[in-house]
Amino acid sequence: MANITFPFPFPVILPVLPEIIVAVMAMVILIWDLFLPAERKQWTAYAAIATCLVAIDATLRTTGADAQMAFYGQFVLDPFAGFTKLLIIGATIYGIVLSLDYMKSEKNIGEYYSLMLFSMLGMMLMVSATNFIIMYLGLELMALCLYVLVGYQRDVLRSSEAALKYFILGSLASCMLLYGISFLYGLSGSLDFAAVGQALGSLGDNSSMAVSLGLVFIIAGMAFKVSLAPFHMWTPDAYEGAPTPITAFMGVAPKVAGFAILARVVIDALPSLQADYVTIFSWLAVLSMAVGNIAAIAQRNIKRMLAYSTIGHVGFILLGLIAGGPEGYSAMLVYLAVYLFMNMGAFAIIILMRREGIQGELLDDFAGMSKVRPGYALAMGLFMFSLAGIPFLGGFWAKYAVLIAAVHAGHLYLALIGILFSAVGAFYYIRVVKYIYFDEERVAFDFSENPLMQATVAVTAIVVVAIGIFPQPLMDICRAALGGIV
Amino acid sequence: MTLSITELLLIPALPLIAALLTGIFGWALKEKLSHLICCIGVIAAAALSVHVFLQVLDGASFHGNIWTWMISDNFIVPVGLMIDRLSAIMMVTVTIVSACVHIYTIGYMHGDPGYSRFFSYISAFTFSMLVLVMGNNFFTLFFGWEAVGLFSYLLIGFWFKRESANVAAMKAFIVNRIGDFGFAIGILAVFYYFGTIEYKAVFEAVPALVAADFSLDFMGWEVSAITFMCVALFIGAMGKSAQVPLHVWLPDSMEGPTPISALIHAATMVTAGVFMVARLSPMFEYSEFALAMVTVIGAITAWMCATIGLVQNDIKRVIAYSTCSQLGYMFVACGVSAYSVGIFHLMTHAYFKALLFLAAGSVIHAVMAEQDIRKMGQLRKYMPVTYITMLIGAIALAGVPPFAGFWSKDMIIEATMVRDMGWASEVAYWAVLSGVFMTAFYTFRMFFLTFHNSDRVDEHAKSHLHESPKVITVPLIILAVGAMLAGWWGVQALGITNAEMANNYFGSAIFVMDAHNPLITLEEHGSHGWYHFIFTAPFWLAIGGIGLAFFMYFRETTHPARIAATFPWLHSFLLDKWRWDEMNWKVLVMPARCLGNILWKKGDLGMIDGKIIHGGIVGTVLAGAAKLRNLQTGYVYHYAFAMVIGVFGLLTYLLLGS
Repeated sequence: MANITFPFPFPVILPVLPEIIVAVMAMVILIWDLFLPAERKQWTAYAAIATCLVAIDATLRTTGADAQMAFYGQFVLDPFAGFTKLLIIGATIYGIVLSLDYMKSEKNIGEYYSLMLFSMLGMMLMVSATNFIIMYLGLELMALCLYVLVGYQRDVLRSSEAALKYFILGSLASCMLLYGISFLYGLSGSLDFAAVGQALGSLGDNSSMAVSLGLVFIIAGMAFKVSLAPFHMWTPDAYEGAPTPITAFMGVAPKVAGFAILARVVIDALPSLQADYVTIFSWLAVLSMAVGNIAAIAQRNIKRMLAYSTIGHVGFILLGLIAGGPEGYSAMLVYLAVYLFMNMGAFAIIILMRREGIQGELLDDFAGMSKVRPGYALAMGLFMFSLAGIPFLGGFWAKYAVLIAAVHAGHLYLALIGILFSAVGAFYYIRVVKYIYFDEERVAFDFSENPLMQATVAVTAIVVVAIGIFPQPLMDICRAALGGIV
Repeated sequence: MTLSITELLLIPALPLIAALLTGIFGWALKEKLSHLICCIGVIAAAALSVHVFLQVLDGASFHGNIWTWMISDNFIVPVGLMIDRLSAIMMVTVTIVSACVHIYTIGYMHGDPGYSRFFSYISAFTFSMLVLVMGNNFFTLFFGWEAVGLFSYLLIGFWFKRESANVAAMKAFIVNRIGDFGFAIGILAVFYYFGTIEYKAVFEAVPALVAADFSLDFMGWEVSAITFMCVALFIGAMGKSAQVPLHVWLPDSMEGPTPISALIHAATMVTAGVFMVARLSPMFEYSEFALAMVTVIGAITAWMCATIGLVQNDIKRVIAYSTCSQLGYMFVACGVSAYSVGIFHLMTHAYFKALLFLAAGSVIHAVMAEQDIRKMGQLRKYMPVTYITMLIGAIALAGVPPFAGFWSKDMIIEATMVRDMGWASEVAYWAVLSGVFMTAFYTFRMFFLTFHNSDRVDEHAKSHLHESPKVITVPLIILAVGAMLAGWWGVQALGITNAEMANNYFGSAIFVMDAHNPLITLEEHGSHGWYHFIFTAPFWLAIGGIGLAFFMYFRETTHPARIAATFPWLHSFLLDKWRWDEMNWKVLVMPARCLGNILWKKGDLGMIDGKIIHGGIVGTVLAGAAKLRNLQTGYVYHYAFAMVIGVFGLLTYLLLGS
């Protein structure tokens, strides 16, 4: 058999295997949906879950201890990318499971799930990017899908409005990001992170203004995606308007992807600007923790409350990035991982509580839950306490990790401010527990009885408690995940 | 010869497992299964204890650590066992009395909604007490000490729907906290000076510490280190063993079910202090001051509680004050360095006092929960077994030979007489001697009023009068045998009172300096024939006390009322228990509550909640939240504007800053 020779070296594609699987399956589901009779449309959801599981398996198999390059060095699969991909896929699985009942009555549901898969694909590309163009492609793929998903309930006014706002502001943020990238490209002549980093390191003082412009615009564009204040304004509206499973999904997955790529950018492309970006991040972190935790107190709608809660949490996560070094970045990963579980758990309960006619979205709707469903009440209590950072639940160790990293890196005041706002935050989380346990039931509850969702709630609660009692394994994994980048 | 570790570990483990099973699955268990689990656990522990005891008699012992609970720098906390003759006799006493009480409880608590819970508690208590006596270091001692206190609290307040039971439980706990505070300080001092908390290492280091003459300045007093430790530890013993002025909780603890009074508040837990002093004899022996303090406190308690017992009308309270008083006797014995006699009295007391309590419980059970002896009388006709067993217990307590109480109490008095500690032993001697008369009197006063005298039981109760079932009477009989024979057995078979420690049952388990040992002096004074007691004052005082009680209470007479009318002040003073509670209330509780009220109303509600929280922090946060909410207008151009402002602000900051 004659050897086949290519006119150019054949690109390495094994590290991209998970992405390829997801891309192919997303398209298959999109088309398959058209051929399914109405009563079997749910199958697309199970196909999407299966796709995610296969993607997890492929990620685990392809990720090694060393960084593997693909597409001529524009795509990297290292432990950091592998770990964050697992979190993203995990969040997507949660999103799909939470959608099972919630979206049952929607038409063309296969489209919905394939959009989720495409969004996930964008995020997976993003965390593996070593290049501003790939990063931007992934980011836009993720964002475009999310715009559509937020407005998926077209006939609900709130949903369309949220989508439109999100789309307009998101476009503005993308413009800022591109503008910033163009500055850096102009200064360095490259879009590759490492090359940009080298070029910026050798620049003289006279170009500092251009560097600062690039830095601020890139950070502003990224900060929008992870809802850091003051680029957070879209978040409450979009969270409230979106279908609740999408709220849960976009509360976690884009944050993981955003922080992962932000970490990669500052480590590879901006090492010479550390003092500058730490200053900017510090302001953003303080502002986010303040706005998130204080504004959440005034909310009556739990989705809005959790939107502000997210803003507060990303402020905390940013502390890990500010601290930097193995300790800081691994603390950031720990926080993201724990946040995935506790946030998804809380949203799962909210979705389970949906009733015909009444959306279980107001705080009052939780009143007296402990008497009707003590199991759910306990789980919700655990998630709320964990979000508040009460020992010994997962959320405590997440906060502990970023705070101790900040202290070790010399940012004592930031850590103190963080502790202060987490005390403020405890108020509105524990208020939910108060509604659940100490208030009288007003309207009869009507819980969804989907066994898959019930199992999800149970498993999530157990994970949150287990991390709380045995935090070390997770911390070790997160430390190991830094192998490729620090 | 060493003992099997497995066997030793099983002794506390069996009651613990039983307690956990009935505690966790109690809601699903039937009464029968609950008591079967616990009784089997405790009876097996008792059998193993007896087996261990027999091996220890043959010279076996065990000392070693099982595992390390915690290491913090040089503070190492091991969990280990020290089984010698002292712990062996305690194990036997604890488990046998506990087993009797377990069986008794089957009848006594029948039908109570908390049946499984009760069994779980008493088994867990047995476990804690065993840890206390079997441990080889101050940590296990402390663990057991606190755990028995916890179960005492839970059991006194067992009928938690009763206000008085809750109050009594809290009182017991709080008073014990005071003692435990001293106890903890004592243990910390031990660690501070010796750098270890293991008995063996500490005991070996004591002479060197004393020789080095360490002293510390405590609130202006120059105190030697060893005295400081011993006194602090003894304060713990005063709390747990109800010694004046920390005795006030014990009579109130009678709010608990009667089996508890027998097990915890007579036979075992309250004797922990005595055990501790004996266990730590190598430390106490080196502090003259601590020994004198033990003697005097014990003597005051023995005498004072006996006087209170003379006039009480609640059958359980009479026995409770008698318990305080007898604990005083035990401390006097330890104080005059006759530790072996103190532990001997502990053992005999455990049998006859548990017997008296259980018999009293049997009576209370029969007369429909009536505890006032003025509303009893002539019960011997209805309850012959209870009558006879209680008579045995009463004779033993009064100290009439050859019953158990005589042997140990007589030795205490004689040891106190010959030991020369200056005024301390002098006071103690007269206190314990006069105590004998009062003990005999109040015991038989209670006994005659209950079983003889005139019939004052009300009609309703009388229709139900009957002898208690077998599960109640059998433990009474077992304990009655103990109350009859334990004394003779201790002296004759074990040689528990032999003067030379080498010949004594305890051997090296208890350390006594020859110069202190009153038993040696006693032996020099002359031989002890079996008829010896006829020539001693205690014997005649006991007979006199019984005789006086017989004269006043065997038949209904007017003497008691006439005497009370002649000395109204004295009578009410004794009836009010020397007004300790009133004094504590006025001197300690009221000022503390006043202070608490001020801090609560003015400090917490006024300052912190009112001014700082609601006025300051919460107001600011809520105002901030409302403002932030107003910023969220819902207009896209406002949102975009915020983003642009953000970018502008950051750029300005960065460019101006650099």
